Formats: sequence, C-alpha cells, structure tokens
Amino acid sequence: MNHRHLLPDEIDLLIDDEVGFGVAPLKAHIRDCDHCRAQVDDARRVLAALEEVPHFSPSHTFANKVMAQVPVFVPWHVTARDTVARWLPQSRSARVAVAALATSAASVLTVAILWIATQTDVLVLATSAAGDQIQNLVYNAGRDVLATVFGDQVFAIIQHTGTVGIAAALLGLVTTAGASIAGLRALAAVSSRRRA
Amino acid sequence: MPPALDLLNLPDADVVALAQQGRDAAFRELIRRYERPVFSLIYRMVRDRELAEDLAQDTFIKVLNHIDRYRPEFKLSSWLFKIANNVAIDHLRRRQLETVSIDGSPHAQTSDAIEATSFDVVGQQESALDELEARELGTAIERAISSLRPEYRSCIMLRHVEGRSYEEIAATLDLPLGTVKTYIHRARHELRTALEHVREGSK
Repeated sequence: MNHRHLLPDEIDLLIDDEVGFGVAPLKAHIRDCDHCRAQVDDARRVLAALEEVPHFSPSHTFANKVMAQVPVFVPWHVTARDTVARWLPQSRSARVAVAALATSAASVLTVAILWIATQTDVLVLATSAAGDQIQNLVYNAGRDVLATVFGDQVFAIIQHTGTVGIAAALLGLVTTAGASIAGLRALAAVSSRRRA
Repeated sequence: MPPALDLLNLPDADVVALAQQGRDAAFRELIRRYERPVFSLIYRMVRDRELAEDLAQDTFIKVLNHIDRYRPEFKLSSWLFKIANNVAIDHLRRRQLETVSIDGSPHAQTSDAIEATSFDVVGQQESALDELEARELGTAIERAISSLRPEYRSCIMLRHVEGRSYEEIAATLDLPLGTVKTYIHRARHELRTALEHVREGSK
C-alpha cells in the first residue's frame, strides 16, 4: 500500500467515510503520503462546495398553479366523519351528556322493536298492509314510466299483455339504462386514463 | 369544518394520509416542503428557469393526482425525485439538449464504443449559454455541475445536495447500485477536473 498512491476508488472510500478492514490501511497511507493527503483534501473541498449549493425557489404562484390542476376529492367516509365531528360538542362533559342521551334513545328504540317483534298478529297485519301498499306504488310508478317512455299506444299493447308484459318492459328499460350508464363510465375512465 | 391541524410538525406519511382524505392544506404542505428541492434538481438538469418550473409543476401534478397510490414504505421525497428526474431526462431526450461528457456513454464497453459516444465537454447549446449560465448561477461549481451528463448530474445532486444514500438513489432512479456508484464516482472525478483551474487560481 505504501509503495503506490491511492486509486480514485480508494479516495472515494475515504471521502464517503466508509468503515471496514480495507479503509484502515488507506487512512494510514494518507497520514504518510503528502500527495494522496492533498488529493483527498482536494476531493473533500469539492464535495463540501457541492453540498453548499443552494436550493432555488420557484415563483410564488407555484403552489397555486399546481393546485389548479389537482382536483381534491373528499371521500364519503371523511365527509361523514367531519359532519359528525361538526355536530358533536367540543367540551368533554357535553360529549358525555350527548353519549348518554344517544344511549338512552337507542335503548328505548331497541325495547320498542323487541316488543313489536313479539306481537306476531300485529306484525303480520302490518307487513301485509305495507306489502300491498308497496306493490301498488311500484305498479303505478312502472305504468307511469312506461307510458311516458313508450307513448300511450305502445303502452296500451304492453298493458294488454298484463303484469308480465309490464314487468318485461320495465326490466328491458332498466337493463338498457344500466348498460348505457356502464358504457358511459367506461368511456370516461378510458378518457381519464389517456389524460393521465 | 375539520379541526385545524399542525401540519408543519407532522411527518410526510401523516401529511400524505391527510391529503388522501382530501385535505387541501395537506396538499399545499407537501408542495411547500418539496417545491425547492424538486425545482432545484430540475433547474440544474435543464438550466432554464421557466421550463424547470413547468416540469416541476408536472412532477407535483403527477404525484398529487395519484396520491392515493402512495405506498408508505417508500419515501415521498424519493417518489417526487424519481418523477422529477424522469420528466427532466425525458425532456432532455426529446429536445436533445443533453450536455455530454468527454468520457462517452457510461454503458460503452469497448474503446470503439467509448469513442463513438464521446463528444466535446460542452454541447452546442452549452457553449452558447456557457458564460450566461455561469454568471446567472453565480459559482464555478454550478457551471461544473451543468457540464456533467444528466445521469451523473441527478445522481450527484441526490447524493451531495439532497444527502441521499447510494441505496436510496438506486431505488429512486431505478438504477443498479453499482451503476449509481459508478456515476457518482465519474461525476466527482469530472467535477474535480472541471474545478481544478479555480482551485489552482485560488492557491
């Protein structure tokens, strides 16, 4: 080692402050060799100068320009959490009071639901009445939609086929609408990927 | 209105988590933290302030628009530097503005290949901008940096200006560790050579 000067790789090891068995002889060498010590010092000076080069600043409008092209979406669960947080009182005692009130209301509701569930006759009667109401509502709404979409004459033909015909026409309408929405979403996704 | 957050003292990963929740202030905090390092890296690569600002904007837009894809095991700064380096290198390749080294391509294996890929110390645009750039950037070191190949420049900047380890640079730039070490070694050598006259003058 003492018979030759350091190679560039060895100078790099020293200026990177590497540790290990191979480095000790290099350090010993530069203690004795003025030429190599000057080389290492020189390299260190260059790197010190390099480490002091400043960061440059972009214009003061940089952040605004970036944010103008970054749409910020708030996920639904964050919106929901923020809404709840907004309604909750700030103080600890008020929060405890709200929690106690909510627990009481939930207990009363649970008891009421359990009581209704035990009244089988009432439950069957109420379910049947609600079922009839919903059936009528759906039938009337479907009839209105079909009459609006297909016109009175076509609707008269569909109506002639009875409930099955109306159901088939409604199913066709919903399927077509669903397929159209899915197609539009796929197109939007492709377009968005291309833009990205 | 969400509660006010002390973003300044939060680590990057927490600020990113807030950005993923759609907090505008978190996006701005990330820009505030990294606009100068990212802009500086790109500016030293392309040597044009307006262009560097456009490319730095592109970098942030790409990263922030895909913030939901951020993986916490990877440093945000590494991701930003990776995109910044890519946009700068892509631009240099498109515009053929690369400054080139007297050493030829670092990938050249034979003396013929080295000769075939060797050029003058400065490219055509470099010679025209040389004095102006040196004056504008103010120091000989800036001038020496600008004469490096772009690949060397990004490696040496990440190592000695941003203080990254060799391993981080390799991960950031998608380069093998050995290649990063070679680039940095060559860049140091070229810088020492380029600055020799300055140091000799000051002795």
